[in-house]
Amino acid sequence: MRHFWSFRNRLFVAFLAVSLVPLLICSTLLLQMFRLRLTDAAGTEALEHLNSVCRELDALSNGFARTADFLQGDALVAEALTLGSGETTQVYNQLFDATEGMRNYARFDLYDLEGRWHYSTYNLPVQRQLPTSWGVLQRAGRGKMTFTVCETVTDVNRPLLMGAVLLTDVSGSPFGYLVASVYQTNFRNLLEGKYGAQNDLILLSQYWRPAYCAEPALAASLAPVLRERLLAGEALDGTAGDFLYSVAHHESTGLYLVLQRPRVFTQDTMRLLYTISISSALVCVAVSVLMSLKLSRQMFRPIERLHSAIGEVVHNNLDVYVAPYQEDELGELARRFNGMVVALKRNQEELVENQRELNEAQIRMLQAQLNPHFLCNTLDTMKWISKINKVPQVALMSTNLADILRFCISPEEFVPLGREGEVLERYIEIQKIRLSGAFSFELDLPMELEDCLVPKMILQPIVENAILHGLDGVEEGMIRVEVRAEPEGLLRVRVTDNGRGLPPDMEGPYASRGRELSWGHLGLYNVDTILLKYYGTGFGLYLENRTDGPGAAVTAVLPIRREEEPEC
Amino acid sequence: MRKKVLVMALICGLILSGCAGTGKQPAPDCAPKEDDRLVIYTAHKKEVWWPIVKEFEERTGIWVDVVSGGTNELLERISEERDEPRADVMFGGGVESLEFYRDCFEPYVCEGAGEIQAQFRAPDDLWTPFSSLPVVLIYNTKLVGAQWLNGWDDLLAPKFHGKIAFADPGISGSSFTGLVTMLYALGGDREETLRHFASNLKGGQLDSSGAVVSSVAEGSDWVGVTLEETALKHMAAGEDIALVYPADGTSSVPDGSALVKGAPHGENARLFLDFTVSLDVQQLMEDQFYRRSVRTDVESGEKLIDLGKIPLVDYDVGWASGNRESVLMSWAFYLGGEEEP
Repeated sequence: MRHFWSFRNRLFVAFLAVSLVPLLICSTLLLQMFRLRLTDAAGTEALEHLNSVCRELDALSNGFARTADFLQGDALVAEALTLGSGETTQVYNQLFDATEGMRNYARFDLYDLEGRWHYSTYNLPVQRQLPTSWGVLQRAGRGKMTFTVCETVTDVNRPLLMGAVLLTDVSGSPFGYLVASVYQTNFRNLLEGKYGAQNDLILLSQYWRPAYCAEPALAASLAPVLRERLLAGEALDGTAGDFLYSVAHHESTGLYLVLQRPRVFTQDTMRLLYTISISSALVCVAVSVLMSLKLSRQMFRPIERLHSAIGEVVHNNLDVYVAPYQEDELGELARRFNGMVVALKRNQEELVENQRELNEAQIRMLQAQLNPHFLCNTLDTMKWISKINKVPQVALMSTNLADILRFCISPEEFVPLGREGEVLERYIEIQKIRLSGAFSFELDLPMELEDCLVPKMILQPIVENAILHGLDGVEEGMIRVEVRAEPEGLLRVRVTDNGRGLPPDMEGPYASRGRELSWGHLGLYNVDTILLKYYGTGFGLYLENRTDGPGAAVTAVLPIRREEEPEC
Repeated sequence: MRKKVLVMALICGLILSGCAGTGKQPAPDCAPKEDDRLVIYTAHKKEVWWPIVKEFEERTGIWVDVVSGGTNELLERISEERDEPRADVMFGGGVESLEFYRDCFEPYVCEGAGEIQAQFRAPDDLWTPFSSLPVVLIYNTKLVGAQWLNGWDDLLAPKFHGKIAFADPGISGSSFTGLVTMLYALGGDREETLRHFASNLKGGQLDSSGAVVSSVAEGSDWVGVTLEETALKHMAAGEDIALVYPADGTSSVPDGSALVKGAPHGENARLFLDFTVSLDVQQLMEDQFYRRSVRTDVESGEKLIDLGKIPLVDYDVGWASGNRESVLMSWAFYLGGEEEP
């Protein structure tokens, strides 16, 4: 059953391919598209967050610039800072007017040119003196605020970002510094909720030192790593991080904004998706196995049955039947097979029947040969006794009978037509003696047809039939046997009489009626059977009433054969 | 068959692209150019290097990559990287140590070299001095009387036997400087002095210079040898210690910076060396870190007493560096010998 398995395997592979390939393609494409879409969306979102943070920082630096502009050239403040004189309250009024709306986001201090602190919008600074040759005051721009990131990202009590601007009076000579300090709480107020709940924002200085992070611990741990990666020219997300980083640069403060967002497709998510894909593939494999098993079973059960049924037929058992238990091609096949077996069986039965009929005819002929030698000898004895006793008719009859008998028991099956004619004439002599010569007989056999071979004793039964049935009670009966060669190598033997003729239902080919009808015409039946058996259908006796006068005609048609031709 | 292979290849490709395409971010483009970088190896503590580096970045726009560690560790590393240097500047570390690794460095005369006190300048400009660090003696104010400790000779006295905090000179550069200063200050036979001091230590020396102050402040030891800067810093933090400038003389060996030979960012490294001795940095150092400036023009605040008032020995950096191995060997021998019985 090797082919069985291989076919099953092929089915399995086909199922597998048909189910697995689309599944794999589908899941891969889905995965890809899903990932691309999500990554894309997340990227856009991150960009929006960064933009909104940038806008906040813009608002902050613009506010600082406005404050600085307000105080530039302010004579009152200039005087207070340079001379240390003037009404403190008036200076504070100016300062608070200038910082209107910005005080929630930074503290503002006024320092004189020596870096000594004078005024503040908040309580006293930790350091009352700032170095002018170092740090934020050293870099304080003229007219434009410059920002310095302080080093203490985790300290809530010290500013994270300081902006300083040199204040000049109307004549353009400097009189002091305005310093804006942004603390952790200020940044928190400014940026809270602007960059997405699951994200983290780190503000880095121009040199990627940490400036602010909502999670100060994260800034302290992550910022050096980010800087290291940047300097090493690596991607910010490292090799196996669960986070993605988006970077934006804020021009006016010089800050870099780094948004840390969780990777949309973390390792876990990917693992989950792969697990799902692989499980579906496994289900596919399982279903393929089951389907191929089931289908092959469905196909092979009937085929197996057919196979064993064919085996039975090979062993000549034609009683097999394959139940067509499903309505499909295989059921049809089974039905066809059954039909074929039935037809085969019928053929075989017909064959057996034919053989049996032939055997019967032969047996009948053999029966007629019972003790033939004894009969022949007896007849010879009778001939001699009748000659001694001067009864010539008996002698003639016994001579003729003995000839006929000898002819009958001769072993040949085929005899020349001339010999057949002789025997027929012997028979006619006997009949003439029996019936006191009440009929005449004529044999029309052309010389060239005398050597045609015909089955033995086919003329005599026809003629006997004509004498017994056709001439019964007819005065001057006339029997005529006419042998003619037909075209296409056929031989036509026609026996006519001038008797009563046939009843209408006897006319036509003899073979077309049942055997029962011909009962009482055993001679004709035998001849017809012999012709059929020897030469096949199409040959046989044809019965008709004569058209040219009273009586019937029996015609036998058979192929012309001669001595030298090989027997079939 | 070919078709099959094609289909298989297609599927494999799809799956692989599915796996591989998990998205790598490109490196951001705001990284500085190679010209704008500087790599500094520093032995300073972060509180010292951080404001200086930050200010340097802000002023010059140069991105500084700082690698910090112990002096000898970093020098060893520079020495290993000699063929392909990564560092541009060695910032910090006693000048004896820098001298010891002189093959790794390149001489450079910094800007404003004229303003630097002559005693702190390297004879061949191999290194640039950063600050001068006198060696001082400290004692626990609760456990030691005011006049008990005056000079190096007290450290050999039995009253402090086993009560002296002293870091392993093989590890700590300042401790080695202290040891050599002691040899200079006491004069006489050096081997004898080493043996004597080692025996007075009772075999116990500390692993790092940082442990000296804490050991004395805790009271585990009564007296210790450390640098003025360290002592002042801890005193300012309110710890129970006091410092003594040894009456028999001390040393004021500078720490320094040096340009690494074959530095990848040599120009920026020179800028940084200039910056470390600039008036701004030197002033900051005096104001905030208790470090003595090497410049002549820095105003000394009230925090530090004038260096001229401190008795100094004639400390020869060249000798200290050249005899480092032999001194350390003797030291290890005597210290171990005391442990033997």
